[in-house]
Amino acid sequence: MNLLDRAEEVRFQFKKDLSKVNIDIQSVEDFRLEYLGKKGYIPALFREFTSLSVEDKRKCGKILNQIKKEAENSIDTLKQRLNSIGIDEDFFDYTLPGKLPRLGHLHPVTQTMNEICSIFREMGFGIEFGPEVETDYYNFQALNFPENHPARDMQDTFFIDDSILLRTHTSPIQIRAMEKQKPPIRILAPGRVYRNEAISARSYCTFHQVEGLYVDENVTFCELKGTLEIFAKRYFGKDVKLRFRPSYFPFTEPSAEVDISCFICGGSGCRVCKHTGWLEILGCGMVDPNVFISVGIDPEKYTGYAFGMGPDRIAMLKYGIDDIRLFFEGDIRFLKQF
Amino acid sequence: MIVNTKWLEKYIDIPYSPEELEEHLTYIGLESKIQKSPVDKIRGVVIAEVLDVLHHPNADRLSICKVSTGFDMQDVVCGAPNVAKGQKVPLALLGTVLPNGMELKPVKIRGISSEGMICAEDELGISSDHSGIMVLDEKAPLGMELSEYLSGEGTSIDIDLTPNRPDCTSPIGVAREISILTQGELKIPEIKFKESEESTKDYIDVEIENIDGCPRYAARVIKNVKIASSPQWLIDHLKGVGIRSINNIVDASNFVLMETGQPLHTFDYRKIEGKKIVVRNAEDGELVETLDGIKRALSKDILLICDAKNPVAIAGVMGLGNSEITPETKDILIESAYFSPTTIRNGSKYLGLSTEASYRFERGVDPEGITNAVNRITDLIIELAGGKVCKGIVDKYPKKISPAVVKIRFKRINRLIGIDIEKSWVKEIFEKLGCKILKSDDKSVQVLSPTWRPDLEREVDYIEEVIRIYGMHKIPSAKRLQIQPSHEVDSRYDLIEKLRSILCSYGYFEVFNNSLVSEKQTQFTFKPVKPVKLRNPLSLDMAYLRTSLIPGLINTARWNINRRNCDLQIFELGFIQYFDPDSETHAMEILKFSLLITGALEDEHWGYQTRKSDVFILKGVIEDLTHRFGIESLKFEKCKNNYFKNLLGSNINGKEFCYLGQINQEYLQSEWSIEVPIYVLDANASVLLDQAKFEIRYKPLPIYPAIERDVSILLPEKIPIEEVKQKIMKEGGELLREVKFYDLYHGKNIDNGLKSVTFNLVFQVADRTLKDKEVDKRMLAIHEVLKNDLNAKLR
Ligand SMILES: [Zn+2]
Repeated sequence: MNLLDRAEEVRFQFKKDLSKVNIDIQSVEDFRLEYLGKKGYIPALFREFTSLSVEDKRKCGKILNQIKKEAENSIDTLKQRLNSIGIDEDFFDYTLPGKLPRLGHLHPVTQTMNEICSIFREMGFGIEFGPEVETDYYNFQALNFPENHPARDMQDTFFIDDSILLRTHTSPIQIRAMEKQKPPIRILAPGRVYRNEAISARSYCTFHQVEGLYVDENVTFCELKGTLEIFAKRYFGKDVKLRFRPSYFPFTEPSAEVDISCFICGGSGCRVCKHTGWLEILGCGMVDPNVFISVGIDPEKYTGYAFGMGPDRIAMLKYGIDDIRLFFEGDIRFLKQF
Repeated sequence: MIVNTKWLEKYIDIPYSPEELEEHLTYIGLESKIQKSPVDKIRGVVIAEVLDVLHHPNADRLSICKVSTGFDMQDVVCGAPNVAKGQKVPLALLGTVLPNGMELKPVKIRGISSEGMICAEDELGISSDHSGIMVLDEKAPLGMELSEYLSGEGTSIDIDLTPNRPDCTSPIGVAREISILTQGELKIPEIKFKESEESTKDYIDVEIENIDGCPRYAARVIKNVKIASSPQWLIDHLKGVGIRSINNIVDASNFVLMETGQPLHTFDYRKIEGKKIVVRNAEDGELVETLDGIKRALSKDILLICDAKNPVAIAGVMGLGNSEITPETKDILIESAYFSPTTIRNGSKYLGLSTEASYRFERGVDPEGITNAVNRITDLIIELAGGKVCKGIVDKYPKKISPAVVKIRFKRINRLIGIDIEKSWVKEIFEKLGCKILKSDDKSVQVLSPTWRPDLEREVDYIEEVIRIYGMHKIPSAKRLQIQPSHEVDSRYDLIEKLRSILCSYGYFEVFNNSLVSEKQTQFTFKPVKPVKLRNPLSLDMAYLRTSLIPGLINTARWNINRRNCDLQIFELGFIQYFDPDSETHAMEILKFSLLITGALEDEHWGYQTRKSDVFILKGVIEDLTHRFGIESLKFEKCKNNYFKNLLGSNINGKEFCYLGQINQEYLQSEWSIEVPIYVLDANASVLLDQAKFEIRYKPLPIYPAIERDVSILLPEKIPIEEVKQKIMKEGGELLREVKFYDLYHGKNIDNGLKSVTFNLVFQVADRTLKDKEVDKRMLAIHEVLKNDLNAKLR
């Protein structure tokens, strides 16, 4: 087993020489060629190896490969030292920037939607989807927006023809879900919606909504309040206060708007909450009996609640973004911040 | 809608501060916000009287005003055209800082020194009006700070009214709501005028052709009025609610409209032909000229007010020029009517004309408030313009509007809200709302709704009233929730999230683009489709729904490149749409995801080189992605499309799945002015989600060692790598576990038409250690085949 002995010798010599190599490009390269170059010591060992018997090969192969690997690693280390710390081997510049592979980021509104959805999913809500191009029936009529009612002015609509339009809210998903399944129904409807509003820092012609619906035999306003309180405390922090005040939506009766205590000023008043101490974050209410009738659910037997919020708006509040257009520009400097 | 506390106090005592009122109203569903006056912060602007106005000797347009603040007299140079002797005006004293930052210092204007400034509204930040100085009521006390004076004028509260509450479009309506909270009495203005002997009937007859459109129409004539400008209080009052003063008659009708919520119209009686009013529908295309001087073509659904011959007003929207009140008007005709909300809304929509009147009619006015409003305006006109009131009101009411009779079950209140509310309290609230209690027992109460609340039609509407007055904030939250999941849950959500996060892990940033695009952008597709067009787009650039996510991504790339961020990896996941006559919505919607790369694929770091974008980066992404969704290896085919150079496509189980390639550089340059190469991937997410299989079966790790060999060959350039690989695999047989292609080289030392390629072969079997000889044999066979079949040369 001369080969093994010689291999050990090469390994020993390599280690000895390694400690003496000057850290400059030429010395490192010379050292590499001496051991690993085509005519170097280690390839010479391998050449010898090919002439061994199968039995011996099995014994030696592993060791030779190990020696080769060690040598390569040591030389890599030398090269790294060459690159990073120059000539002074005692100097380690820990201020050199870290090297991170590029990782993408989810859009801030996607992140917000996901956070909202995951809180409600823990409470048993299942996600439902629906089309963005909708019929007037699903977007308005079935939701108790009578034709020619001023309530329709609350939502400027893009029409495709008289009866087809771009959904102005994700509420049509609620109707489709109630048509499809019997109570109990406990769903969340996230998605993109459209409003025919001029584009400005405050409004964009498309944005997002997350709506929730719960229909069962004993659903009450108290339960709605409880559910939204859990959500708000989970999402905005446990000290957040909620304010419910009556409002109007055609598809709920009673209807309410929900404000949370401003998390920027803590309620004392600031520019963001327009000095009211409150931030309006969602609308909600008990499902209007007319909506139940239009989907064939008995309003005497079942009650339900619905709520809806805008993740774009919530993200703007949360991150202090004052121009909604930033969400749709795709500026990488913006996206990298989230 | 803006209401002023001072005005409100005419109708109800308010035991609250403005801040408390703001909160109370908000809690009963009238979302209120106090309007802060910019004047509040100004100190040093006081009320002064103009004692005399003299011409400036050196300037035609300037005058020298002698003004008194009661304790001091000053000369002030003023350029306003409306300054006049005897006026009370806001005077900014020396040293005052105005809202625009200007500080008053003594100045000489064309040789005359001026010791202060008489202010216009814009200078005080009250409005943008700079037509002249602000003139105050003649009773304004001299020397008082303007801010103090104006605060005595009440606090303005802006109420964001929801469309279900027509009754609150006036301060009387808001006062009624306050009375429910305070138990106070509503104070309705007294009517004092006396009627003359002449009867209205002899002057006017009313004929209603369309009684559905106009269930009620009341008219009265007042003779011999004197048209003049309104007193300052009325001018100020209207201004406070955003209405410009015209003359005393028009102002009176606007005042009553704002006070009661009942729109009124006044005509010059002498211009009404044939002593007759006819309410009829317009004819299609009928042309009229409205008060604002615009000619409008009508449709047959629009309701017209006519005299015996001609139209004189578009019902509930706007009067016509031919019958308007002019300085010469002597006798007037007053109209007060109930028009159907739908009719007025259709008319207003059709004409694109929304007025204070149409706003109220389309929400529904109080059908029983019609004649009260006539009396109220009559009283006001007599006060402002004199005249003789004809006896009686011609009141045609052919179609009675009956308020709803509603039964409310106490049990139902509990069922919907979740708590018990005392029955006697509930009944009390209904009475305070103005309901008549028809029947009541232990289980329920039956009420007749007030005529001013058309929104109270059903039991649930009353439950809302209960919760509204009770206070939503006082209703407890359920402490234990019933958690009852839906029967069916769409599992796609999880897969979409998985897809998004995998794409992020590859280094791609998620972007959102507008789904509304130009017609040109809809042509960027792989197969011709008909895009979905909007009927009422914001602009031509946003008139269609996108048919592909790629133009949006290119647009985003351009945005970033223009800002010198040229290394991009971005993706969007979203729906695209195109016309599909078979769909319920006439639109096919497909969930897609698209990727775009350009420039370097890593951020620049010290110490290593970054990879550059190319088509195969995207190929790698989609191969790995589908693999993670449990889809067997993708097969690609070469495709052709004018927007692309080098386009590949792939199907999953026969379903069109994805395309990827480099965008045609000429197109990029001409359409987007982009010079750098851009690579995109377009994929159908639905196909991926539908075909996804998550049935991973673990493969045991090998226990016996592998033998690795390289194959380095020179071969004709046009032989595809995949073909070489297939040959190697075939010859390698069951011993060959893996073939990795890892080097491709053209150029130096390689003859033209040839390429140098290297594969790494891993031989391994599960049940034993391979012998070199076995591998050598296979290698030999592989070399032979490559030589013979592909004309390859071993290197
Ligand atoms: Zn705040």
